[in-house]
Amino acid sequence: MKRLLWIFLIIGIMQSCTHKSNIIRIGVAGPMTGDQSVFGWDERHGVKLAVQEWNKKGGVLGRKIEVIVEDDQHDPRQAVAVANRLVSDGVIGVIGHFNSNCSIPASAVYNRAGTPMISHGSTNPQLTEQGFNNVFRVCGRDDQQGKIAADFVCNKLKLSRIAIIQDKTTYGQGLADEFRKWLGPGCKVVYYGTIVQGDKDFRAVLTNVKAQDPDLIYYGGVYPEGGLLAKQARQLGMKAVFMGGDGIMGPEFINIAMTAANGVYATFGPDINKVKTASAFINGYKDLYGEPGPYSIYAYVAATILLTAIENSKTAEPGQIIAYLHTHSFDTALGPIEFDRKGDVVHSPYVVWQVKDGRWVQL
Amino acid sequence: MKIFIQQVVNGITTGSVYSLIALGYTMVYGIIELINFAHGEIYMIGAYAGLIVLTALGFAHLHGISMLIIGLLAGMLLSAAYGFTIEKFAYKPLRRSSRLALLITALGVSISLQNFVMIGQGASDKSYPSVNMLNTVYSLYGVSITANQIIILAVAVAIMIGLDLFINRSMTGWAMKAASQDMVTAQLVGINIDTVISITFIVGSALAGAAGVLVGFYYGIVNFYIGYLAGMKAFTAAVLGGIGDVRGAMIGGIMIGLFESLGAAYISSDYKDAFAFIILILLLLIKPSGLLGKDT
Repeated sequence: MKRLLWIFLIIGIMQSCTHKSNIIRIGVAGPMTGDQSVFGWDERHGVKLAVQEWNKKGGVLGRKIEVIVEDDQHDPRQAVAVANRLVSDGVIGVIGHFNSNCSIPASAVYNRAGTPMISHGSTNPQLTEQGFNNVFRVCGRDDQQGKIAADFVCNKLKLSRIAIIQDKTTYGQGLADEFRKWLGPGCKVVYYGTIVQGDKDFRAVLTNVKAQDPDLIYYGGVYPEGGLLAKQARQLGMKAVFMGGDGIMGPEFINIAMTAANGVYATFGPDINKVKTASAFINGYKDLYGEPGPYSIYAYVAATILLTAIENSKTAEPGQIIAYLHTHSFDTALGPIEFDRKGDVVHSPYVVWQVKDGRWVQL
Repeated sequence: MKIFIQQVVNGITTGSVYSLIALGYTMVYGIIELINFAHGEIYMIGAYAGLIVLTALGFAHLHGISMLIIGLLAGMLLSAAYGFTIEKFAYKPLRRSSRLALLITALGVSISLQNFVMIGQGASDKSYPSVNMLNTVYSLYGVSITANQIIILAVAVAIMIGLDLFINRSMTGWAMKAASQDMVTAQLVGINIDTVISITFIVGSALAGAAGVLVGFYYGIVNFYIGYLAGMKAFTAAVLGGIGDVRGAMIGGIMIGLFESLGAAYISSDYKDAFAFIILILLLLIKPSGLLGKDT
């Protein structure tokens, strides 16, 4: 028995010592299980598709690419643990995380290790305001998103009585507060309240909202709670318009809210079916994984950018890759992308979407 | 006032669900003095059972009411089967060992069931079939109530009246009461203790299964961890009413629902889930045996 243990130990040490120089590893981190797992799987599929295409062309720097998927369960503590694991696994770069409350603490871990990180969906402004040079994102920021939403509500819909509900996460609260900040003088916030993520019954809060008789409910948060909020608001007999951010985009919101989803507004990037450069991605994705989710293409683009930077900087050295990411423009499925000094995209085209007949439509 | 009544309506609806689950805790505790922590999972399994059976039958073709009835029956039957089996395999062999061993086994069963469902059904939320009839909103003097809420109340009240009659009027019910007072003497007068315990688990689990299906229709989504929080709150309700006392559990559940709803509305929605437990702490300080519990 003791000898057997020794053999295992020696094999283990040998394996960890073997220098796998013919493989390059990239990490993917996001909510792979739990109520937001749909976002995690969209991310995973997007990255896998990009990696598969690159591996077909012979990999990067002549080496095969291996993807390591980690689950942060949209929990900040888990995100830090996962980030440490990815770093110790020796990944050359990370795609993710998805939720802002995970990306921000995880970014500190990657920063210490000098690992580049490209988030495909974390929109909280703080992520790129920490002075970390290794942090990038291919999506927009909530200060931009909140402004577009506020403009739309005040100037286009011309609604005046606004109720705001948020889920107390970094993303939800950040978005709700940005929205409130940009509201014009004609818009009055008549209610501002919070809910708890994971809860299923929001009737208590909504009954209080109803008492203020708002024209619009703006929700800062993600679809599992958002869908139930919209549905329960209708069940309480409320007629107010419902609006949210990119967190409620995607078919899951409609599945949960059902008929109450019709007429709901959200801010998000443009419809990729109208972006010419995205058609190859859409076809490739549909063949393998079915209909792309809202953030599938962002994960795909993030992976493409990371791999392009590795290939073109001709080194697997993270510092050089980061420098390359900061200084070059990338032709992607979403069109050309360029990062500014902080790691944000230079152009972030937020547009307003609405659910019509059970489908999200860009207005 | 309108708002207050609306909050009360909401609170009573969720409260009656807590009552249904709390009954299982209290009945089992009454007989074998076990806090069956796996009971929340039984409720979750009931919700899934209803969903799976309805999906298998192709729910689109079914009429609203028949869907509800089939779902309820499926949830109750499968939950009862789980409750029965768990008692036979996990608790019965330990009947003579320390209460702590039983308690830890119950926790183990709870974790196993959660993970079993997660692996079998996936980790993400599942949507319950949408029944238009259930989503009809009735408005009375500005207070909105959905058909779904009325049905939850009606089913819960019907089940609770039935249970009360069963326990107080039927032979088996008397046997259960006798066993809960003194198991040894009950055996001496010819009561088959194994049967009584099995029946307790079957009835308690069926109630939880019914609650699971009702909640599934109410919120429209289920996942594998809904049993945890609902179980904790129902347990609190059982303790609040006086654990071991059947009517206490009914009252305790409604009270927890009301505290939660009114607390979230008038104090702070941030602490919605905490209110149930704050009440529990206060009660344990003032009257440790619960509202209807007898001092021992």
